[in-house]
Amino acid sequence: MIWKLYFQFLKFGAFTFGGGWSIVAQMKELYVEREKNITDEELLDITSIGRSLPGTMIGNIAMFYGHRQAGFFGGVACMFGMITVPMIVLIAITTFYTAFHSNIWVASAMKGVRTAVAPVILSALMGMIKSAFKIPLCFVIALAMFVLFFFFNVSCVWLVVIGAVLGLIMCEYYERRRGIDVTA
Amino acid sequence: MLLLELFWSFVKIGFTSFGGLSMIPLISSEMISHNWMNAHEVSDIVAIAEMTPGPLGLNCATFAGMRAAGLAGAIVANIGALAPTFTLCFAAAVFFEHFNKNKRLAQIMTGVRPACVGMVAGVVIQLALANYADSTGGIHVPSLILGLVNLILLMKFKISIPKIILFSALMGVILFGVIGL
Repeated sequence: MIWKLYFQFLKFGAFTFGGGWSIVAQMKELYVEREKNITDEELLDITSIGRSLPGTMIGNIAMFYGHRQAGFFGGVACMFGMITVPMIVLIAITTFYTAFHSNIWVASAMKGVRTAVAPVILSALMGMIKSAFKIPLCFVIALAMFVLFFFFNVSCVWLVVIGAVLGLIMCEYYERRRGIDVTA
Repeated sequence: MLLLELFWSFVKIGFTSFGGLSMIPLISSEMISHNWMNAHEVSDIVAIAEMTPGPLGLNCATFAGMRAAGLAGAIVANIGALAPTFTLCFAAAVFFEHFNKNKRLAQIMTGVRPACVGMVAGVVIQLALANYADSTGGIHVPSLILGLVNLILLMKFKISIPKIILFSALMGVILFGVIGL
């Protein structure tokens, strides 16, 4: 059972491009439609919890599914299965990068690639904004954290902690004083 | 000692990231403050991690770990980044029913998400300042133009990220290698 989970996730991990959603699609095909181990709703629940906990979403989803099927070691097997192929690929690329990054052609290609990084992150940021601003105060938090990060070099750990505390205070305030459940 | 520092850095990165690119600001500041990487190398990992299979955060962990301390570094960085999965997520899996409807978690995320937006916006500017600069610290115009072309292709024409990165690599070879801008 443990090995079966390991190899199933090995395959998922090898074909996971561009974020966590492709692994969810693969899990749906195998576990919901073919093996009928879990229902669509359960997979959706696992996904939404995996997303809202810290850490990588795919790692969390793998842990959840594996734990459901075969306990802690099932979860560990899924997690390690999922990271095996990406890790080997990255080790090979990093070795290549370290050896060749001062080569003129590789350096020119990387210089071109770097021009794409800010646009790529910016476009992902636009996606995040849609779900991030539930109430106007969220804009204030984003702006304040930006200033603290960019101009005052405050550690991201503190910024996340401050965000979490403000989230709790804000939601409680809205619910008690105005009767609005922000999280709904 | 290096391995321990690397592990601890990625534990911090793991616990304060919530999917996808929210990991980048902390990776960037941890790598640069420890002198494990410069801003160019941070940009390179983001691009490489976007091109290869697997989650971005763990790909960054492998790359950063390898660069800082070889294979052992890659392994400890990955385990560090997965620490929240071993601990918090495992706990959540055990108490699944209870966690499912946890309101506190949703309230926390209401504040954490905008905080991540603020940090990611900050890191975009930091990386842009490094990537569109020439060796004297001025603006490198061909890089900036290529960057704007990429932004338009991405936002307006919805070209996928791996294609954008391949296109940029090719343009880099032509503009900076062949023409020598």
